Amino acid sequence: MKRYLLKRVTTGLLTVLIAIVLNFFLIHIAPGDPIRIMAGMDHPSSEQLEALYVRYGLDKPLLVQLGQYIVNLLHGDFGTSYTYNKPVVSLILETMGPSILLALTSCVLAFVLGTLLGLFAARHQGRWMDNLLSYVSYLFDSMPPFWLGLVAILVFASTLHWLPTSGMVNLRNPQQGFGYVLDVLTHLLLPCATMTLIQIPQYLRLTRSSVTQVMQEDYIITFRATGMSEKTIFRRYVLKNAILPTLTAFGISLAYVVAGAALVEIVYAWPGTGRLMLNAINRRDYPLLMGIYLMIAISVSVITMIVDILYAWLDPRIRLK
Amino acid sequence: MALLEIRDLCVDYLMQEGSVHAVDHVSLTLEEGSSLGLVGESGSGKSTLGMAILRLLPEKTARVTGSAVFQGEELLTMPESRLRQVRWQELAAVFQKSMNALSPVHRIGSQMADVYRLHHPEADKAACRARVLEVLRQVDLAERVYKLYPHELSGGMMQRVSIALSLINHPRLVIFDEATTALDVITQGQILKEIQRLEKDLGLTRMMITHDISVVATSCTHVAVLYAGRLMEVGPAASVLRSPAHPYTAGLMAAFPSLTGEKKPLQGIPGFLPDLTQTIPGCVFAPRCPYATEACRTAQPPLESIEPGWQAACHHRLREVNNHG
Repeated sequence: MKRYLLKRVTTGLLTVLIAIVLNFFLIHIAPGDPIRIMAGMDHPSSEQLEALYVRYGLDKPLLVQLGQYIVNLLHGDFGTSYTYNKPVVSLILETMGPSILLALTSCVLAFVLGTLLGLFAARHQGRWMDNLLSYVSYLFDSMPPFWLGLVAILVFASTLHWLPTSGMVNLRNPQQGFGYVLDVLTHLLLPCATMTLIQIPQYLRLTRSSVTQVMQEDYIITFRATGMSEKTIFRRYVLKNAILPTLTAFGISLAYVVAGAALVEIVYAWPGTGRLMLNAINRRDYPLLMGIYLMIAISVSVITMIVDILYAWLDPRIRLK
Repeated sequence: MALLEIRDLCVDYLMQEGSVHAVDHVSLTLEEGSSLGLVGESGSGKSTLGMAILRLLPEKTARVTGSAVFQGEELLTMPESRLRQVRWQELAAVFQKSMNALSPVHRIGSQMADVYRLHHPEADKAACRARVLEVLRQVDLAERVYKLYPHELSGGMMQRVSIALSLINHPRLVIFDEATTALDVITQGQILKEIQRLEKDLGLTRMMITHDISVVATSCTHVAVLYAGRLMEVGPAASVLRSPAHPYTAGLMAAFPSLTGEKKPLQGIPGFLPDLTQTIPGCVFAPRCPYATEACRTAQPPLESIEPGWQAACHHRLREVNNHG
């Protein structure tokens, strides 16, 4: 187990390093130029532009820039955002809390609800409830998250006035203590519901097909032949075998949700990292973008590592390898 | 009274194109303490027959008719609640693919203890564990198997686990469905010997489903030969295998090498199983039979007695040919 862990950590670090290099080149190769965007529409002179390039170090060859970036990283310096003129680390830390709140709650909710619905569908296979669930799941699966978000705002916020349209807190009426928690929760409800609904279908279908597959395994016939009731077989043996693929999907979506939530964060003006990232892309804010990508790469490796370890704990067949 | 009495058992698999007559009016009797080898080639319906008796065929796609009386009780129409009591307490099984016979993510011991507790709800943890260790010992497995997972054992060891599991609730009848097929001959020989020893010690009755006639020769008191879902010949293993009365039995034996006898080239049986979606008016083996005449193609031969307890369904029984010649 110790060697397994060490191997996982080394490959994780390597993955992050490769991600840094790839992201660096991708960002710089992509069309658009932060200096031109900074200078705006005032037809700056070429001397002015030249001065800006030199000031931000963008006049040097790409490889030199990359080397400088990595050296800075090793010193704990993630750079300063061009557009916000603030350290990248503090910008990311500010937005990470709200992002994790939204991502974690919706991911866990989708995992729990999707798996439960999938189990239900598998047990009622071919009957009308199963068919209905599969139609509805395709409907939500094919809906763009931002569109669902807009519809939800239109219905529950603009028309019915049940819930706030955007933001994380009511700025006009700041609350303290329990009132603050309640305020955040009411603001969280719509974006969280949107992201949960979008993610439920994958768990539903995965669980349903996984259960169906496990039900056909030879050991299920063994247990049936021993006189074990279908209910006991399901609870004691089908569940643990069927949950494994779902767990992998949960890990993957948890890892990518930070970036994936961007569109929903924009629609609801949620002060999260996803929204920060889209702003950084639009303005070609290289240091900020690199910082956010680095954070995503790290969270993906850490979460997949945790899921792998969890998997090995649940499935004894993995431990040997 | 016989332990198991099968009468006119039919199994039809219902499909969109029609139904497949997998088992066609088979009648068999299993006396207490005997061991019956059910042989036939792939697709002969032998496994289907076993699964029908165990009531493990899917109800939607398999129609089972006839009767199977086990210890005076009809198995085929037995209510679910009674069936669950009979299962494993009186009627147990060892299945084909033993590597997948248990859940891969639970420890072997805990799964076996689960099955024991099912029929002994009063047993505490220690009692369950003790019983599991006892049956593991009976099949020559070490105690440490208790806390291992199925993938940590070899095929032969998992086969022993399957046999141990079948014994855990002291059944009267155990159905072995191709239980030794996947094993090498040495392991198979060891396990067959163990099965016979256990049988004597525990007073078991056994039904052995196999395509390997040598398994029957070494380990069974009786043999039933199945072809295309119909019973061809049934009788005491020693007599039937010494001089088979049915040309199909003779053909099966000619297709197996003899270990002790002279070296002869092996002979296969030409042709294939008939299409079982069709109703065949005559003998199902007629198209492949070297002795077939017009009568064989039009009239189904009934099972006729050769000696007490020995029957064959053939218009041209080899036994009679031998006697007259």
